Amino acid sequence: MYRGRLERDLSLWVEKGLLPEATAGALLEEYDARPASFSLGNVLMILAAILLGAAILLVVASNWEAIPRLVRVAVILAIIWVVHLGAAVMLRRGATGAAGGLLVIGTLAFGGAISLIGQMYHLSGDQLTVMYLWFGMAVVSAVLFRSGVVAAVAGFLSWGSFAAYLDTYDTRWVGLDPWIVPLMAAVVIGLVHLTGADRARHLAYLLLVAWLTWLYAVNENFWLALAYAIGGMLTFVLVSLPVARRSALLRTAGSAPAFYTFLVAIIGLLLLHIELEHGWQFVTLALVTLGAAVVAIALQGRNNGAVRYLAYAAFAAEMLYLASVTVGSILGTSSLFLFSGLFVAAVAWLVIRLERRFALRTPEASV
Amino acid sequence: MSIFSPQGSGSRYIVAAIIVAALQTAVLGYAIESRASILRSGTDALLKTAPVDPRDFLRGDYVVLNYEISSVPVASIVGGVPQDQGKKSLWVRLKPGDGGFWGIVEASFERLAEQPGTVVLHSRPFYSYGPNSADHIRVEYGIERYYVPEGQGTALEKARQGGDVSIAVRVASDGTPQIRSLLVDGKPAYDEPLY
Repeated sequence: MYRGRLERDLSLWVEKGLLPEATAGALLEEYDARPASFSLGNVLMILAAILLGAAILLVVASNWEAIPRLVRVAVILAIIWVVHLGAAVMLRRGATGAAGGLLVIGTLAFGGAISLIGQMYHLSGDQLTVMYLWFGMAVVSAVLFRSGVVAAVAGFLSWGSFAAYLDTYDTRWVGLDPWIVPLMAAVVIGLVHLTGADRARHLAYLLLVAWLTWLYAVNENFWLALAYAIGGMLTFVLVSLPVARRSALLRTAGSAPAFYTFLVAIIGLLLLHIELEHGWQFVTLALVTLGAAVVAIALQGRNNGAVRYLAYAAFAAEMLYLASVTVGSILGTSSLFLFSGLFVAAVAWLVIRLERRFALRTPEASV
Repeated sequence: MSIFSPQGSGSRYIVAAIIVAALQTAVLGYAIESRASILRSGTDALLKTAPVDPRDFLRGDYVVLNYEISSVPVASIVGGVPQDQGKKSLWVRLKPGDGGFWGIVEASFERLAEQPGTVVLHSRPFYSYGPNSADHIRVEYGIERYYVPEGQGTALEKARQGGDVSIAVRVASDGTPQIRSLLVDGKPAYDEPLY
């Protein structure tokens, strides 16, 4: 965890005389006082909320014949009202953890309530509409209560909606529905900015990446792969520019935008490798891939560990692939292993050189 | 976590709670009431169920219902099947036939006008492959599930295999059907109150 690293670094600096001990203590205190810092109690509270929500729904569902329908509906509605009003009272008292738990119960209970009512009244309904409604309700709740936990629930529901879409339409592109997925991702990113639920942002970015991958699977097309590679790389360069990095929107997003745009570019390049296997196009593609990895390391390598590792991996994989297609076919199996060993060593040496080189360029790389 | 301080905005949260709970209540209420209103004022029709793959018949605690009218003959489609593939829905006109069961008179990808003595069902959207793809188009109407009390599904399945299970529905003027009752050998097996 970040706190542990911070504490180690601070004590190291105190030891070296770079920092007075009082300042180090004050810095740690400031970090501990932040409201968003990790608390086991809060996490357990949310887990308890999820379990309780499930339990309540199961009790209502399993006492099938014993309770008349209207009474069951009344119980469900009572849960919804009590939980939300309870959350409001908790927020008033400043108990954000408990309020978050209650709001999670409220949002889950709504989804459960829809399916229970569907069962009681034999509404085969369509699950897609249900997921959209559920997601919408989570968004409303997250916005009105400024709740980061509910924003995360909305992030999961956006994934559920995409899954429901793929299930309903047999993974085909039908009508306008597929556009809802990027729209939901955008909404979740908006919620993340509004509520400060930083980790939920990955749900949205990953959803976009999954959606793009699905798009290619539906429509296996050279130009689409090329668009991913070029579009991803361009956006990556854009978000890595010093001007963009200083903008409030990107600064709060941390390393995520650069990583995911680069990931899309790498996915595009990977798909292009499937399309182009021979001739000068293949050589160009290989060089472009290596170049993209180097550009990524140059732009983000210092500050963004995720981009750095992805770039190293892409660089190494491309080198190995190149070696296997060019030399691999000439050699026998044993010499192939010998050659591969030497080659991997060479790639490792190259990567280490790259690492050193970019680590040394301290002044101009820091923003 | 919040740009609003918890102290100064207590009533804001109460308002938020009321809005969210009221919205959820409204959605659930709408689902219940839209069904009840169809059952109150819709047109009656009796549908014969068609055989189902036995493994698929009982899934969890609901019974999968397949109807004779779930399979629409392409020959009955007025104006034919549109050339373009994609998300489409069918309007299907039913008329009482043998044994009081309602059968397909005609179908169309355009809305069908009302006619006395018939009822028009609107199918759920489905993916149309265009003309010449098959003799029949399989559609769903949103009445393909019947939830049964836990443990009673197998009994219903036996009844389903032994005799005829039929479903009485009521159909709204926009073509949406709702299940009014499930009949085994012509006798109602489960009652469906409005609420």
